[in-house]
Amino acid sequence: MEKEEQLVHAQWAVRPGEGMEAGYTFCDGCNEVPFCGIKFTKKDESVTHVEPWPDFPASPPCSKAYATLQRLYHPNRLKYPMKRTRPKGSTDPGYVRISWNEAYDMITGHLKRIKKTYGPHAVFFYVGDPKEPRAAVQRLAATFGSVNYGCESSTACRRGAMLAELLTYGFPTMGNLPTEETKVTLIWGTNPAYSGQPFMCHAQLLEAKERGVKFIVVDPRLTPTAQTLAHIHLQPRPATTAALAAGIMHVIFKEDLHDKDFCRDWIHGIDELKNYVREFPPEKVEKITWVPANKIIEAARLYATNGPGGMKTGAQGTTHDSNATNNHRAILLIPAICGYIDVPGGVLKPTNPLVEMAGPWADGPPEFSMRDKMNQMKEHRLDIEAFPVWAEKLWEVQTNYLVEWIKQGKIKGLLGWGLNTMIWPQSHEYQQAIAGLEFAMAVDYFYRPWTHDYVDLVLPAAMNYERLAPFAFFDRKIFGRSPIAPLGECKEDWKIALDIGVRLGHKDLFFDGDVEAACNEILGLWNITYDDLRKNQERGIGIPAKGPELFKKYETGDIRPDKKPGFMTPSGKIEAVSTTLKKYGYPALPEYKEPMQTTTEYPLILISGSRIPFITHSKWREDAPWLLELQREPLLTINPKDAVERKIQEGDEIILKTTWGQMQVTAKPTIMVPRGVVGIMHGWAKANVNELIPRQFDPISGFPVFKEVVCQVSKI
Amino acid sequence: MNEMRHKGGDMARYGIIVDLNRCTGCMTCVIACKQENLTRPGVSWNKVLEVENETFERIVYFRYACMHCEDPPCAKACPNGAIYKREGGIVLVDQDKCRGAHACVAACPYGVISINPDEEYFPGENVPLQAKGESNRVHPPGKASMCTLCAHRIDEGREPACVVACPSQAMTFVDLDDSQNVKPTKFPKPQALLASEGSNPKVRYIVSNDLFKDVERRISKKADVHS
Repeated sequence: MEKEEQLVHAQWAVRPGEGMEAGYTFCDGCNEVPFCGIKFTKKDESVTHVEPWPDFPASPPCSKAYATLQRLYHPNRLKYPMKRTRPKGSTDPGYVRISWNEAYDMITGHLKRIKKTYGPHAVFFYVGDPKEPRAAVQRLAATFGSVNYGCESSTACRRGAMLAELLTYGFPTMGNLPTEETKVTLIWGTNPAYSGQPFMCHAQLLEAKERGVKFIVVDPRLTPTAQTLAHIHLQPRPATTAALAAGIMHVIFKEDLHDKDFCRDWIHGIDELKNYVREFPPEKVEKITWVPANKIIEAARLYATNGPGGMKTGAQGTTHDSNATNNHRAILLIPAICGYIDVPGGVLKPTNPLVEMAGPWADGPPEFSMRDKMNQMKEHRLDIEAFPVWAEKLWEVQTNYLVEWIKQGKIKGLLGWGLNTMIWPQSHEYQQAIAGLEFAMAVDYFYRPWTHDYVDLVLPAAMNYERLAPFAFFDRKIFGRSPIAPLGECKEDWKIALDIGVRLGHKDLFFDGDVEAACNEILGLWNITYDDLRKNQERGIGIPAKGPELFKKYETGDIRPDKKPGFMTPSGKIEAVSTTLKKYGYPALPEYKEPMQTTTEYPLILISGSRIPFITHSKWREDAPWLLELQREPLLTINPKDAVERKIQEGDEIILKTTWGQMQVTAKPTIMVPRGVVGIMHGWAKANVNELIPRQFDPISGFPVFKEVVCQVSKI
Repeated sequence: MNEMRHKGGDMARYGIIVDLNRCTGCMTCVIACKQENLTRPGVSWNKVLEVENETFERIVYFRYACMHCEDPPCAKACPNGAIYKREGGIVLVDQDKCRGAHACVAACPYGVISINPDEEYFPGENVPLQAKGESNRVHPPGKASMCTLCAHRIDEGREPACVVACPSQAMTFVDLDDSQNVKPTKFPKPQALLASEGSNPKVRYIVSNDLFKDVERRISKKADVHS
């Protein structure tokens, strides 16, 4: 080091400000939308520092947002389009750099050929992680003429719970943050300290606790959420949700603590529900769920006698088992029988959402995404036979039968953004199926062998600092970003989708490849442009609501488009007995179904899919060394008592085994997991837990059993 | 040799109060610090220790870094007089004087001083954010390395990166001399870690006594191993 530099160091010189500019973007670190805000410093098209975006709705962000800076400059980034030169099945696919022109010619050539030979629906469009390109890819699928579009939410994430919400309430909700009116909140199967929307809400939950809100946390694990918030923590055996919920409702009905008027007027099948939960006294429920009877009674009383009560559920914590839909439906009925729906402080149906978006970004704005056209092509959906309830309620295709559809020759081509084969149970079956396609393309940040070894073409995606689309919105507030130029020949996801659309001959529909023009098409719904967002960069633009927030809208007709009082369900009421489930022959009450049984050979229950705060899915294991330093090995959490019984100590290499496979992992004894349960983070290429999970699915949602499978752990 | 060099006056005594009832072990402080200061591979100025208590069914996530002691044992131990307290009571290593003697590493009761390795994250790569790095982002191999309380940010009127980054607002940057700032109602009794060491740390903790004893046992053990 030079002498002068040393002096500067010793004196702690002020940061050089010359040529530095502020920039703004969002973090895609955990594939959440809405996004967390990043304010950055840039100089000569390079990002140098990252800070929380001040007063942004989702801020401050977590560790992953800071790590996006190291990811941006990772030397292993994909910077050029690459095509395979050796046949599928070769040990080395022999990828070589090609031009964008060649790449686009390949894509459009295959698309046109497949369409001509097999029809447009033989091309599957997929958006995994990040969710950001969804709207643009949906538009591409619709224009190309394929109804077969799916995403990670319609594989194993948010849509399973959403299906239960639509069947039960008629509107999607993951509950709300406690308001000034809320007295008690039920947090079930989610750990907002590490995840959960609205993102980074843990500080707000702590504040609610400080002002007196009581918390009931239901989670098998001793999560930081349970530790920092819970007045009562219920730790059920995984996949016994409906039994625990029935036990809580049993106590509420038995002790006459329910809202009788609401139950009578607004719950369809209330008598059937009462009769059903009569069979679930706390003592019996204790035997099923491991939750002590007195705690069930205590929780039921705390929740039902401290109205108004709120709820916070997770995206998928309660839907990864073979009774997913009805398990989640059972939770939703607890606030309902207490009359906590759409009252101040309760479970709210927003009065003034941005109707033009018809939901969060993750769904895509219907007009831009050509939802009408997709709905018109519904009969061609590949999932319609296996999952008719899903196909009736959700427009994205359930992807878990991709293997069968490819084998049956129904899919010949796949265009995937953020495609990841490790999302599926028995991942190798999906790898082989994808390898058998006539053409498959993937867009990503890095070369990921467990997916890209099986496709024909890999395209380099611009990262969060290099993307203009999409903008962010929170409730009625919209924010843009100010990107730098992409490294190498990277292009943002939207640009790639638009370019393909243009080259298929739809120049106008795809804005001649102009991403900003595509954004402006959507922003035009509120008479603003991206330029307006630039002018209001840090503060964003609020779209005024037409009227005040209203409550008990089911009484006034402000929920249904036909303006009749009631909910958006077939019966017009909250459905304890689901009309739709009945129609298709599924159990119409939220019935309990006994999950997979432990045996002497497999005495433990395996839960995967729960998050650690600095890793999401398979991302980040190699994308940013800062994060890898925090955990280098696949760790299996095991209760200290279960570990001692097996003579397992911290750091031991151990074998995790199920009927379907086994793998080597590292032991981490911790009271985070209860006795009888072990937990592991999914998405390690060298220890992919999904190979140990069977392709068994909840018959209603088609969701995989990531939190139910029995296993054994032993020392090597 | 052990004389402490004060830079500037004694206008403030900066520290951090960490509320362990809010900390979730999310590691954001650790990575926000890495980004701010670009420390070398394996060097983390912020650390988080998980301490489990089976009786209380509690996992304490204990965030710690340089405690910016009033009487820093590291400064006393340094044979080159390289560790000094500057304005605000911030304890710093003078990179010019440091000769990598390791004495500070052994002397620190908290085990928060490391010696910079010569590894880089992306060796041989021209990483723009490193090339444009400021003085706080330069870490010569072989020299002592520890949290600077983001002195460079404090000089600009900004709080340390870890404090600003904490999603659970578990950390509060304080001037211990400013009673307004310390807000006695919000912070009942911030405690000093290993007070018996007499180093008088300016980073303090809100936590129950029993759990704090567990933490102290673990830190002592780790620091022993470290030295």
